[in-house]
Amino acid sequence: MTKAILVLEDGRVFHGSAYGAVGETFGEAVFTTGMTGYQETLTDPSYHRQVVVQTAPMIGNTGVNSEDDESGKIWVAGYVVRDPARRPSNWRSTGSLEDRLAAEGVVGISGIDTRALTRHLRSRGAMRVGVSSVDLDPASLLSRVVGAPQMIGADLSAEVSTPSLYTVDAVGEHRYTVAALDLGIKRNVARRLAARGVTTHIFPASSSIEELLAVSPDAVFFSPGPGDPATADGPVALAREVMRQCTPLFGICFGSQILGRALGFGTYKLGYGHRGINQPVLDKTTGKVEVTSHNHGFAVDAPLNSVIDTDFGGVEVSHVCLNDNVVEGLRGIDVPAFTVQYHPEAAAGPHDADYLFDRFVELVEKKG
Amino acid sequence: MASPRADTTSKIILGESDLHRVVDRIAHQILEKTSGATGTVLLGIPTRGVPLAQRLAARIHAFEDIDVPVGSLDITLYRDDLRLHATRALGKTELPGGGIDGRRVILVDDVLFSGRTVRAALDALNDVGRPSSVQLAVLVDRGHRQLPIRADYVGKNIPTAVSESVRVSLLEIDGLDEVKLTGSDK
Repeated sequence: MTKAILVLEDGRVFHGSAYGAVGETFGEAVFTTGMTGYQETLTDPSYHRQVVVQTAPMIGNTGVNSEDDESGKIWVAGYVVRDPARRPSNWRSTGSLEDRLAAEGVVGISGIDTRALTRHLRSRGAMRVGVSSVDLDPASLLSRVVGAPQMIGADLSAEVSTPSLYTVDAVGEHRYTVAALDLGIKRNVARRLAARGVTTHIFPASSSIEELLAVSPDAVFFSPGPGDPATADGPVALAREVMRQCTPLFGICFGSQILGRALGFGTYKLGYGHRGINQPVLDKTTGKVEVTSHNHGFAVDAPLNSVIDTDFGGVEVSHVCLNDNVVEGLRGIDVPAFTVQYHPEAAAGPHDADYLFDRFVELVEKKG
Repeated sequence: MASPRADTTSKIILGESDLHRVVDRIAHQILEKTSGATGTVLLGIPTRGVPLAQRLAARIHAFEDIDVPVGSLDITLYRDDLRLHATRALGKTELPGGGIDGRRVILVDDVLFSGRTVRAALDALNDVGRPSSVQLAVLVDRGHRQLPIRADYVGKNIPTAVSESVRVSLLEIDGLDEVKLTGSDK
């Protein structure tokens, strides 16, 4: 077995074996606590430039298949697992995870103590990391880790966005048209909308308001995606224009941070972020708690318990994470706009938050 | 129907690598449950609790670079069956330099069975200091408690019959690492 090392920005070293492609990679080390859905995780563009640590010890048991990808390729910068499955077994499996990682050139490491690594990140915060199965000298790898770019200030939307416009048709009868700005969209967003009779036009991140409005959308959607929302000035200006025209606006994750900024709130980086599929969120409109899928390292800075006066009228925080009181959703009172910081579209679940797509469609109905 | 018979079959419950993994996990759990093992002392109950306590301290050191003081706590004279058996050899009680007063003491033993050993250990502890709290870590919990005692950290729960016995072997004492269940009537 080829040896590999993982070196964190603060000098901590873990020794393991190469997993996936042999080579070297750098990125921001983040951990995710989901015990299922590794294929969706790997292909989620929001993980661009991040080295993902799986806290679940056994990964790859169900192999990979041709149906579960959330985008056209694996986006993670690197992959860290404890105990890879030696043989995948599932009726949908078309190959092993390690072969797919190798085929797409994704460098990983296995056989390391992911529990110790996770605790390290949890207590010291997400930080840069290097994984290498070619340079096994920790000191030389460390010197390159500290030279790698930071996540704060990273503008990554253009790197993950679609190069050209494409359309996902409504399933069954067409009811509404949505223009979606692709900042790193996941396939399941358009699928969830299509299931409700929505045809979604997916636009490159650099599109102008005129281009978006050219399809006469009933609503505009701001997608999830990677990077620091503080850099997304283009999409923020777009969101302000959409609200000025009173076109219904919905956003997820990065899209929620865009709305936050468009309303005049700041964003900040969380210590170690929320990544996993069992995060409890309170929906303040109903008082219900839902278990949700998260993947965000940044959050909106807004007061939790009051209606806030903004350029676009009253706005309130609609959803709150019960673990740490982080803002998980925003709702306009005077303007038809709402967003959530987590993932109602999450596959393989949980599906507690699927109702948000219904809320979106209702918002469009009311407007129309 | 098979008739009951005396049987000496034995089964390996934990092999060498399983045992190491289990010790690693307890070390992680101690770190997480005690927020970084601050103000913590590990006290092994002789015989096999002592090397287990030392291993836990070594693993904690490897994971987080934290030094947890280790000692041993002999309970022989505190046993409730002391007079029912022939004379026993005394083990050693060695408290770490800082003592145990005001510290969180984690008692470490190999097998938790009736709970009487732990009761004796609590009595023994009473005579050597006043910890702020006492926890219990065991490699194996085999059930059949006779006292209201439970462990805070359990390496492996093994359902057993009272007639069976659980034998823990450690490299430091027995020359190999394994846990065996013997006397099962399979």
